[in-house]
Amino acid sequence: MQMLKMTNITKSFSGVTVLDNVSFSVGQGEVTALLGENGAGKSTLMNILAGVYTRDSGKVEFDGRPLENTTVKLAENVGIAFVHQELNLFNDLKVYENIFLRKEILTKAGTLNKKAMIAKTRELFDSLGVDIDPNTMVSQLETSKKQLLEIAKALFANAKLLILDEPTTSLNQGEIDHLFGIIRRLKEQGKSFIFISHKMNEIFAIADRYTVLRNGNFIKEGNIADTTMEEVTRLMVGNSYSNSQVYRTRELGEPILELDHLCGEGFHNINLSVRRGEIVGMTGLKGAGVSEMMRAVFGAAPIISGTLTVDGKVIRNNRIHKAMVNKIAMVAANRKENSIIPDFSLLENNYISEHTLSAKRPLIHKKKEVQRFNHMREVLSIKANSYADTITSLSGGNQQKVILARWLSTEADIILMDNPTQGIDVGAKAEIYKLILQLAESGKTILINTLEIPEIQKIADRCVVFYHGSIQAILEREGITEEQVMLYATNVLHS
Amino acid sequence: MKNKNTLLNKKGQLSSVIGSYSFILIFAAIFIVYLIINQGATTWNGVMNILRHSAVVGIIAFGMGLVIITGGIDLSVGSTLALVGGMSVLVFNKSNSIILTLLFALAAGAFCGLINGFLIGRVKMPPFIVTLATMLVFRSISQYTLRTTGSSIYNMDGTLSSYEGFYGFGQQKVLTIPVVGLVFLLVCALIVFMSNNTKFGKTIYALGSNEKAARLAGINVERTSVLVYVITGILTGLSAFLWLAMNGSVDPATLGKSNEMYAIAAVVIGGISMSGGKGKILGVAFGAMSYTIIDKIIASLGFDALINDSIKGSILLLAVLVQQVVPMLREKIRKLSKEKAAR
Repeated sequence: MQMLKMTNITKSFSGVTVLDNVSFSVGQGEVTALLGENGAGKSTLMNILAGVYTRDSGKVEFDGRPLENTTVKLAENVGIAFVHQELNLFNDLKVYENIFLRKEILTKAGTLNKKAMIAKTRELFDSLGVDIDPNTMVSQLETSKKQLLEIAKALFANAKLLILDEPTTSLNQGEIDHLFGIIRRLKEQGKSFIFISHKMNEIFAIADRYTVLRNGNFIKEGNIADTTMEEVTRLMVGNSYSNSQVYRTRELGEPILELDHLCGEGFHNINLSVRRGEIVGMTGLKGAGVSEMMRAVFGAAPIISGTLTVDGKVIRNNRIHKAMVNKIAMVAANRKENSIIPDFSLLENNYISEHTLSAKRPLIHKKKEVQRFNHMREVLSIKANSYADTITSLSGGNQQKVILARWLSTEADIILMDNPTQGIDVGAKAEIYKLILQLAESGKTILINTLEIPEIQKIADRCVVFYHGSIQAILEREGITEEQVMLYATNVLHS
Repeated sequence: MKNKNTLLNKKGQLSSVIGSYSFILIFAAIFIVYLIINQGATTWNGVMNILRHSAVVGIIAFGMGLVIITGGIDLSVGSTLALVGGMSVLVFNKSNSIILTLLFALAAGAFCGLINGFLIGRVKMPPFIVTLATMLVFRSISQYTLRTTGSSIYNMDGTLSSYEGFYGFGQQKVLTIPVVGLVFLLVCALIVFMSNNTKFGKTIYALGSNEKAARLAGINVERTSVLVYVITGILTGLSAFLWLAMNGSVDPATLGKSNEMYAIAAVVIGGISMSGGKGKILGVAFGAMSYTIIDKIIASLGFDALINDSIKGSILLLAVLVQQVVPMLREKIRKLSKEKAAR
């Protein structure tokens, strides 16, 4: 029996079609894996199902009844539960209070009947085989327990279909096995699941069926038993990408950045040597450790062990300022949170880092700065009326160029870029790739962390693939194919 | 059609200027009321006295302005004034040296600020709590120390040879401008210059605007955070010195009471955002002077001084109201002009 049937769903945001006639179904008591790369349309489709977005056209049928004008509340009421990646729990409430929030059991006097709620919570946990004390504060729970609590909460609300969005990202193998055990038991009770994950081995361990989306289009569905990891990966990636016109081979210099058995929070045993003028693409699933490693090289997070050598000099007790003095720069991920000074003009945003290096000369020479900034503006083709504009008035791509200009002003030799094209439109992305190549030609060394493999194919000399905090493979330019990278990143292939 | 549009745009710009310089409007309005009430009795000296009487709270308020721009607050300034003032009297009576008293006042103020700054910037305790605590501690030390000497106020020894020079400095004028007022203007110029034209000044704004980004841009946010409290302490020490020169004595129970509130009010009237990151230090000077004029208005009307705070409080509300409403009006004008353009 079909639990969920979505047919010909179409959705566009401000003129851009993100879902084009997509169909998707889930049978009762089945786990269906929803597969696709970043931007394939998975989360849009799930958000339509859960009532966060409204569809432009198409039909949704759930449990034999059509769903119209879906709101979050309606979806919840009919039994669709969305277990988000960033868990929606109240950290400062107890476990049972989270479960009973807005559904509290009251005594005759109208006060909270804590005993009854705690007893019910215990009953629920016992039936699931979950070992959590209903009285602990949620903030005290490990992430895996929080994940289970979120699922228990959904079941308590009588969910029939649970959407699990990358539920295993922060779990270890034992916890994953436990979660899968619970999912299997619930399947037998007739609950259905949509399982979103990038990790092939997990998908093949738990899912019965799969659906692949690519660029907002339905590609294929089928039984997991009838396919292989390689085939599914190929379906996700497609073979439409091959444009590498921007890339040019260059002479590379001597090694400038060397990591030797580098360990820190979220990454371990990293051995890597990068040569002057090289562009190294780094990738891995979310939480694979690339971002963490970059932060440590930049001095924003501690290095626990191993050595970091820059231009032949061993850097000890790395700190941001020290890294900057050694000509390292980092374009941080999440521009709005980590890069932008919203009350500052373009000029001020540009010079803030250079100022910390030249603090011995305390006065600002505005005329000189304006001159140099205007030059930079031309080189990077930043679209703005004046250096005095506030940075928040620019588009994402131009904001990122200002941040890039900030680091170029420090005359850094090594530029770490953590997800630099996040939230930037296609045209601006292409411009940034071009800039990166120009910079490399002028002798800058660039490490770029991105989840989008075509980006790496366009610009990188080498590709370093991370899995679970360590390097899984280092691919030379000729060997960088999306398929290959995906297989390493999902731990299907080891090297 | 095009003409109309540019006209509206100009209006938008005008309102934006009014928005960021509203402190001058408020000051002008209060000053005009003062002139009307005084009618012919307004003298050059009277106007110059506004500067002189704005100095103590005004100089403290410059520090407060910097602290608030970083996103912090300093409630301890009034108590610091009472503590440093009292101790400076003791130092003067012992040493009979004006210079030494000045150096002591600045150093003692810096030390008080360093305590706040260390706990806030390094230990990462919340500024409100830290300075609330030191507010209680500093005044209490000042009062307790006085009790052990057996007198009821800290009195400078008038028989000392330097006394005349010290007290005279507080009353002195240069080209009809009171010296104390000149010190106020000098500090104002210095702090305005620091906040606009130095690299350190920019770090203060960056810290208040986005601390995380400031850190990742290489700014030593701890250092900046400690330093603004130290600067505030030094300025408060200077204020204590000026107070002694003007008055010759310190009553630790009353000196500086509510000064932290007046300083905060001056900062807010000056258009500095309480959430940090934006505002002009120059506004603080106008905010402080606005409050001094209110004192004068009430005095010349012969009202009871106790009505003072209701008027000051109302002005504060009005000032914030203007700051809130002007951007809203600007937004409306912008929308209207857009609609018109669409038509």
